[in-house]
Amino acid sequence: MISVLLRMDKILIMCLFGLLSLSLFVLYAAVHAGDTAIFQKQAIFWFLGLIGFIGVCFVPLRIMGLLAWPVYLIALLSLALVPVIGDVHMGARRWLDLGVVAFQPSEMMKWALMLILAHWFASREPDTWPNFLIPLIISILPAGLIVIQPDLGTTLVLLFAAVAMLIASGFAWRWLLGAMAVSPLILWVLWNNMHGYQKQRVLTFLDPQSDPLGAGYHVIQSSIAIGSGGFWGKGYLEGTQGRLHFLPEQHTDFIFAILAEEGGLAAVSLLLVLYAILISRMLTIASCAHSRFGALLATGIASIFMLYVFINIAMVSGILPVVGVPLPFISYGGSALLTMLGALAIVMRVGIESKGNIPWQRPSSPLS
Amino acid sequence: MLSRLDIRQRFEGRMWFFQIGMFVLLLILLLRMINLQWLQHEGLMLQAEKNRINVVPILPTRGTITDRFGEGLAVNHVSYRLSMIPERIENMDATIKQLSTMMQWTDRQIKRIQRRIKRSRKDRPALLMDKLTWAQVAPLSARLHRFPGLNIEAGTHRFYPYKELTSHLIGYLSLARSKDLKSGYLRNEYIGRSGLERSFETRLHGTLGSQQEEVDAHGRRIAVLQQSPPTIGGDLRLSLNVRVQQAAAKVMGDRTGAVVVLDVHTGEVLALLSMPGIDTNQFTLGLEQQQWQAWLNDDQRPLLNRTTQAAYPPASTWKLVSSFAGLRHASPLASRSTQCPGFVQLADRKLRCWKRRGHRKVNMRNAIVHSCDVYFYELGDQLGMQHLSDEARAWGFGEATGVPLPPESKGYLAPLMQRLHNGRKRHWYRGETMITAIGQGQTTVTPLQMARFAAAIANGGDILRPHLVAGKKPEIIRHVDIKPEHLKFIQEAMYAVANKPGGTAYYRLRNTPWKIAGKTGTAQVIAMSQNDEHEKDKTPKLDKHKDHAWFMGYAPYDKPKVAFAIIVEHGGHGGSAAGPIAKAIVEELAMQEAKQ
Repeated sequence: MISVLLRMDKILIMCLFGLLSLSLFVLYAAVHAGDTAIFQKQAIFWFLGLIGFIGVCFVPLRIMGLLAWPVYLIALLSLALVPVIGDVHMGARRWLDLGVVAFQPSEMMKWALMLILAHWFASREPDTWPNFLIPLIISILPAGLIVIQPDLGTTLVLLFAAVAMLIASGFAWRWLLGAMAVSPLILWVLWNNMHGYQKQRVLTFLDPQSDPLGAGYHVIQSSIAIGSGGFWGKGYLEGTQGRLHFLPEQHTDFIFAILAEEGGLAAVSLLLVLYAILISRMLTIASCAHSRFGALLATGIASIFMLYVFINIAMVSGILPVVGVPLPFISYGGSALLTMLGALAIVMRVGIESKGNIPWQRPSSPLS
Repeated sequence: MLSRLDIRQRFEGRMWFFQIGMFVLLLILLLRMINLQWLQHEGLMLQAEKNRINVVPILPTRGTITDRFGEGLAVNHVSYRLSMIPERIENMDATIKQLSTMMQWTDRQIKRIQRRIKRSRKDRPALLMDKLTWAQVAPLSARLHRFPGLNIEAGTHRFYPYKELTSHLIGYLSLARSKDLKSGYLRNEYIGRSGLERSFETRLHGTLGSQQEEVDAHGRRIAVLQQSPPTIGGDLRLSLNVRVQQAAAKVMGDRTGAVVVLDVHTGEVLALLSMPGIDTNQFTLGLEQQQWQAWLNDDQRPLLNRTTQAAYPPASTWKLVSSFAGLRHASPLASRSTQCPGFVQLADRKLRCWKRRGHRKVNMRNAIVHSCDVYFYELGDQLGMQHLSDEARAWGFGEATGVPLPPESKGYLAPLMQRLHNGRKRHWYRGETMITAIGQGQTTVTPLQMARFAAAIANGGDILRPHLVAGKKPEIIRHVDIKPEHLKFIQEAMYAVANKPGGTAYYRLRNTPWKIAGKTGTAQVIAMSQNDEHEKDKTPKLDKHKDHAWFMGYAPYDKPKVAFAIIVEHGGHGGSAAGPIAKAIVEELAMQEAKQ
């Protein structure tokens, strides 16, 4: 018990607490003029999430490997059920109502896919056709189901994460470049499956000024919020773009704009540094992992975090279209926070198992 | 086959790729942030402020216009405007229905209101009705809490208590048009379009104030940040004596014409009446296009300010100008008398006197008193066109008086040389000069010029600039160089016109509280052959063929105070049609003086 806790990575813990405090500060700023119950809810989610985090740290990687296929299949089945019995929310059918909680199979699928790919590549060697095509099918199947929901953001995250796994698994670059050559085909399929509003989003992204009160409005307003923050920001709770509701979804997807407006470049740099340390540390844990499964799993999870951070900030600051991806640990949202804390805990577990044997656990057999 | 070691090595290599990739992605984000928060900071900061701050103009209250005794001629009435924010109304149809029964709207009004709501933004107040009186809004005001989203605001609107009586002088307002916006007006502002409202626009208007408001993304006001109050427009007190104007209008009745009354010493305008007038309140209450068209097409031309914009033939009043010229140049006829047989034979034409049987022996004084045409035909013949024309210019005819009521007509004094259609020039024919001397022919003058002429005769020859604002210093444009005994002679002749038996206005004006000196005039409306005139005289004339009646002069004779010029279009004879108006003016002024 104690040995597990002692072996937790100190740098990850520090980053996590840095993000936790930043998250609560920024969330309060985003909602203080409106519904402060949101802030309290998120604090409770943090509390529950941290308990879960510690819990996950005790789950051996071996168990996770065993769970890989069942979890993936359940996620795939739920995804397949969404078009049939899912709830429509904001024009897209993404949610399954389980009676007590509504849950988003696509959210689960991201992590399930990392798990199954890590599991798949852990015991297989790269540069063979079956080992290349089967993971591809494993990835494209859920991506196809998600894109028809439609949920462009998650699809992109899923595909990029799958590519990251392929890179990490050690396929020679010629395989990867070959796969990249085929990707225009995938983009074409994607474009044809997009809904009108999504195509519109991509088009206004290319020229947001063309429709300043329409679809480009959000990006223009968030750019104004970020830019008006300047170097030191307008001061805590002093931002006007958020308080006066010029920002859309200011406590979820666009919360970064609040941070940038009130904290300026200084706070933005702090956040980016925190993310850099967090992700870099996750990759270091992956490098030092004693099991190939753990190493690949940690890499995949780090990639997803990286994609989230990049896509979210890029979209809020107007260099990518608005696709609806949360900012890890900062955006409001219980299930996103819980899954991300869970994912971070898995990486933590990878680190724990790399620091020598733990009494009740069978010695792992590293590939090296 | 790859060995486990190879795989391990490859994996570690890929981890470097990931570390570098992550660094590159975060660097892209950081560069974007530097671009936005550092390089574009100032521009975006401005945009954020512009987003947040709404500058709402506050309209100044327009200055009022009063007459010399403080009687309001253009005032501001408190009125109420009803507006609604459409998105805050739950059941629009039911609300409109309730309001329409409460406010007693007609079907047409309801349609207009529905159109307004439809066209306006759903989250901003839409104007339903304005210029409502308190009586109209009171029933709603008591139940306003039952209608969230509805708002009653108090404001002012322009009101002209004397309506038609002062319409040409005061003028009217209308809403700013697109081209006014360039000169800094707002779309919902009123601008003076004619009369004094236009001439004194800058002074009456005042300056806009503004209020900086913090608004949210829906345009709702969150807070007032800063307020700079408007400067209220300056009030204007006129020299006008509205009671005199009323008295003149009463006698004028429904006839068409103009009356100007001036202070002989200061040039202050005491009355400036043009009839018919229009109800200028209709402009601010929302003028119907039909009404405007009706005014434009009205034969009586109610939009024309006859005191300054209409020029009439001066007729016999012009004999005074000819007399001055005769005295100045010591014409032989000025000191002698002539025989008036009722006409002058000129080659094959006969120039007739208005009195068919003739005046027998007439000198200058008798010719003025009885308005003998023949005498002045001969006088004009002796003087020539040059002297007649110079005399008219000296007394201020043919030039704008400079009263602040543009546009102003200059009247018309025919040039000395006539240019023919083929471009050749010719002198006047003798007969043309002769009829010019009695005020017929091409000469035209405005009533205001005529009143100024009368004032100059009364004050010893000072041509004054007529002005309208009380307390303004008199402005003498020029002094007419005239010998006092000549002036005295003309003044006595004018006195006799109104006060000696046989004078053309004696019958109407012999009993006035102030003794009047004046001259009548009867201007022919249609050119009639001089030979046929007497035959035509017998046939009943159509109203619109009747002559214009002039009367000009001053009072009191011995100590002049006011000068006046009166014209009644198609009124017939000068003494009988215009004389009673002069009498009413003098009676009103004498009564006011007696009261003080």
